[in-house]
Amino acid sequence: MSSLQEFMEKLECPDEAERTYAAEDIGYLNAPEGVPPLLERLGKEPSRAVRDAIFQALIRIEADAAIEGSIRLLGNDDPQIRNQAVEVLRLKGAASIPFLSTVMRDDDKDLRKLVLDVLSGVQTSGADAIYEAALSDPDRNVVITAVENLGRTQAKQFRSRIENLLLACSHPMLDGACLEALAGIGNEQSLAAIRRRFPELAALPDFFLVSCLKAVGALGTDREFKEVAALLTVRGSHLRPAILSALIAIHQRHPAKSHGEDLLPALQAMADDGDPPLCRYQAVRALGFLSSRGDIYSFLVACLSSPERLVRLGAIESLRATERPGVESVLAAHALKETDEEVLQALSS
Amino acid sequence: MPDLSVEQFQRLSQLIYQKLGLSFDEKKIYFLKTRVAKRMATLSMADTREYLFMLGYADPQGLEMQALANLVTTNETYMFREYDQLQAFANHCLPEVLSAKQARGERKLRIWCAGCSSGEEAYTLAMILQEVFPQAQSWDCEIVATDIDENMLRKVAAARYGCRSVNEVPDQYREKYLIEDEDEWLVRRRTAALVQTRHLNLHDRMAMRAMRGFDFIFCRNVLIYFDDLSRKAVVDHFYNALNPGGYIFLGHSESIGRVTTAFKLKRFENHLVYVKE
Repeated sequence: MSSLQEFMEKLECPDEAERTYAAEDIGYLNAPEGVPPLLERLGKEPSRAVRDAIFQALIRIEADAAIEGSIRLLGNDDPQIRNQAVEVLRLKGAASIPFLSTVMRDDDKDLRKLVLDVLSGVQTSGADAIYEAALSDPDRNVVITAVENLGRTQAKQFRSRIENLLLACSHPMLDGACLEALAGIGNEQSLAAIRRRFPELAALPDFFLVSCLKAVGALGTDREFKEVAALLTVRGSHLRPAILSALIAIHQRHPAKSHGEDLLPALQAMADDGDPPLCRYQAVRALGFLSSRGDIYSFLVACLSSPERLVRLGAIESLRATERPGVESVLAAHALKETDEEVLQALSS
Repeated sequence: MPDLSVEQFQRLSQLIYQKLGLSFDEKKIYFLKTRVAKRMATLSMADTREYLFMLGYADPQGLEMQALANLVTTNETYMFREYDQLQAFANHCLPEVLSAKQARGERKLRIWCAGCSSGEEAYTLAMILQEVFPQAQSWDCEIVATDIDENMLRKVAAARYGCRSVNEVPDQYREKYLIEDEDEWLVRRRTAALVQTRHLNLHDRMAMRAMRGFDFIFCRNVLIYFDDLSRKAVVDHFYNALNPGGYIFLGHSESIGRVTTAFKLKRFENHLVYVKE
């Protein structure tokens, strides 16, 4: 009896562990003939452990049969099986692309969406045709998922398609996805498209503003810095982390000595008692833009004594960035009374 | 040091959670920033975006994630580490398993410490077992401590530890189960006798299949160093190694639910544990 035959028989064994081992052994055998019995067993297998082992075996079997079998499972009624099939196909990478392209022509929008779920976790070359089709898909969820994937995988070749989708302003969720994608792959033209679509940041509802700030932070210039800075005092405190992130990002690309002058009182207040602590950290980092000023330098030195660890860490970073003579001795003096291990590490690095 | 924005931190902590099951809250932004900076320096990368992209989408084998895991986790091991989890074991899981066994007339209990390193965890469990279940001596109780490293197994067998290893041992346990010997601490013979060492590579599937009939498996802060496929394979073996009603414990920040759907999640007060039904 061949090994495969033996393992196939063991797949029907009443003992759960034996069935798990049989599935595992078929996987290690890496033979395409092992796929049909695995799929057949999957259809009637009550044990989740054995089902998991069958999927692991499908991952190990390198033949197209494992991909074709997994593609068929995308249409299974059980969501857990569908999700595990997505995972198998994702791990198959480029080898699954021709099969996924075929599924992309299916009438079932849920299947087309699952194809994009497969592509979501990896940068797969050869998937452009699938994305071309997805961006023109009649189903909005498919389009949104495609845009999200393209942003995550930094597919810059689709930048202008995404800008056009944004300008067509068909749905708030799609707008949000386009903004997030352009934050990762956009350029000056993308910024222009964003500003055409959203000329006034202050007028945006919170939902759009967070995504918009990501894009503006990644692509904006001095002009946007002022506009974003103005939001800090007029929008709700829950938006502060997003606003501060955008300001820090713009400043890092376009540093200007005047950045933040108007914000001093707001930033100092946030550094003192902003909530959450991460926001205080960001405020201290933003104050670092102005650390050439004596009063701000002193404020940052005072922040070293804050009870909030993140404020102390932010102050260390901001003070170091000033490159002022004497900074290191200030930090060394603080190290003598510091007890937090992570802050001590930051002081000594 | 390259900057790590708040969005990048959130993305990074999400990635680490998805791949390693370790969670880092926002207070760890600086900690992660310094670790990422180290990896970027090693890889001669200057742009944090580039690094995060590689970690998320261009690391199919999970090799870079493993390299980062080495920097964001500590190999430090000491007795009574992750005390909350041990409380769940001592107060809920162990009494439940023992009373079920007593009801069935069984008098055998087996615990597996997988990836036991220098053995602090195995002896912690031995102490807890004797404390919670004084009849342990009259039962057939065994704590099997396995590791791939023979040097570590020799340390386990010696049952001798420095102060750092025993710092967190509660006084009542220290007095009963340890003996001070100059600058070191020895596990008392009766307690040490519960622990058996065995050489085992968790990747050796045939050797793993021989591990059967356990009531508890502890494999804390070990699987985070494995790639996805190996981690799943090992957890499948753990499932088969457990008796029905047996419990598995990974590190408190590791989530088994991301690795397999085979175990059932169970809640005891504030503790979440995984059990084989």
